[in-house]
Amino acid sequence: MTRDPAREGRVVLALGRRALSVQFRRAQLLMPTFVLPLMLLAVIASGTSAARGLREFPDVASYLGFVVPGTIIQGALLAGLTSGTALAGDIEGGFFDRLLAAPVNRTSLVLGRLAGTLGLALLQSTLFLAIAWIFGARYPGGAGAVLATIALAAITAVAIGGVASAIALRTGSLSLMQSIFPFVFVLLFMAPAFFPRELLVPVLRDAAVYNPLTYVVEAVRGLLQAEPALGDPLAGVVAAVGLALATVALATLALKDRLRRL
Amino acid sequence: MSEAVHVASVLWRRSLNEVLRVRGALLPATIAPVIFLLGMTGQFGRLTGLEGFPTDSYLSWIVPLSCLQGAGFAGAATGANLARDIEQGLFDRLLVAPVPRAVLVIGPILGGITRCLVPATVVLLVGLALGAELPGGALGLLALYFASAAFCAIAALWGVFMAVTFRTQQAGPLMQQGVFMAVFLSTAYTPESLLRGWLEDFAHFNPVTQVLELARQATVSGIEPSLAHTLPGLAALAGLGLFFGALALYGLRRMGH
Repeated sequence: MTRDPAREGRVVLALGRRALSVQFRRAQLLMPTFVLPLMLLAVIASGTSAARGLREFPDVASYLGFVVPGTIIQGALLAGLTSGTALAGDIEGGFFDRLLAAPVNRTSLVLGRLAGTLGLALLQSTLFLAIAWIFGARYPGGAGAVLATIALAAITAVAIGGVASAIALRTGSLSLMQSIFPFVFVLLFMAPAFFPRELLVPVLRDAAVYNPLTYVVEAVRGLLQAEPALGDPLAGVVAAVGLALATVALATLALKDRLRRL
Repeated sequence: MSEAVHVASVLWRRSLNEVLRVRGALLPATIAPVIFLLGMTGQFGRLTGLEGFPTDSYLSWIVPLSCLQGAGFAGAATGANLARDIEQGLFDRLLVAPVPRAVLVIGPILGGITRCLVPATVVLLVGLALGAELPGGALGLLALYFASAAFCAIAALWGVFMAVTFRTQQAGPLMQQGVFMAVFLSTAYTPESLLRGWLEDFAHFNPVTQVLELARQATVSGIEPSLAHTLPGLAALAGLGLFFGALALYGLRRMGH
């Protein structure tokens, strides 16, 4: 098959658009992705804001602004997982098999699905930042920090989408994808998503060092709060991009493996 | 009467078979509260350092919450299973049976209550293994299990109402998120005195706050087993049961009209 980048680009865009429109037509898929993180944000922001009274808690403009990076990353995780769930649905429903017969590069099929995830994460993180701002979160980092946050969230969603797609391609099971939903929270809770790393319990603090999401969430926090001590943006970019590259490669390998088994 | 008991018992066994015959059916409902238990403790464990926190073990504070969460999800699953039966036409056939409609959901609700004992027990055991305290002893444990079972029944009634109203499994996330909101918009993370803003008022009037206090008699050293900590929880459970029971009956009566 000849590789025409422009044509493959159109395929990726078309598949990405389809992935997005299918997800917006199936509200039950989007409910957890959009509503759950906002609910958790509302509860955590009010339920744990007394933590600012702890001696080691950093001095920040608003507690809501401090915890919103956790919500952004939670949203990215769920958006990524949703793409795997939708892909498993396509496999079970037979649509993916028909796609495989199309004269396009197989990698474009994976990238198309992840393009939908990217779009979903862009919309989602913009919405989360806006809602949090309406309710009092402030972003001293300014518009540039907000844009960088949205970009980091989108790359993270693609990274998680890569893992989810790899699992979907390996198993082709919708029910399995739905049942791994709770495990998303393992990744989230193993990062300083809602509390400073120094205040996590010791075991978690040690484990957080090895979790790439730690660097992403801290980078977002540092950017939004314009406080480099809260997180290094460069470390966040390296972690998110590195993870995305690795998981997209994983998903591509899973697709090749699936094709061998067909 | 005996016919109704027989029908309820058969449907109870059927709902238990769904767990026994489907491998791993209980796994997500059990693992999710355990993950929340560990995650919340890891993230917010230092909150016990705040003045006014009744215990110095955050794990002990969160264990009852996770038990209620697991029980609530098991209850909501009753609604999701009923929605599936409605979608597949099985419930339509059951509706023509010569028994009151309420009897048709008693069995699945009892099944939910039985199932909820698994996540509640797993959460409790994990919590105890990791250092949660059990100062309430046997009485406290009784309160914890009673609160979990009754909260599961209430979540199941909510699930039944949603199932007979929407008649589709797509309402499943709504059932779960109803439980999620009820549990977390309470004194989930910190006691009432440490809540701030709108949640302080909301948690004060949320009956689940009282149910949590009932359950926390088992593990929180500052909430010892007593009538003062028990009666408000029992009243809250009774009120919630009446409200959601009436809603479920109303929804069931409307089916087929």
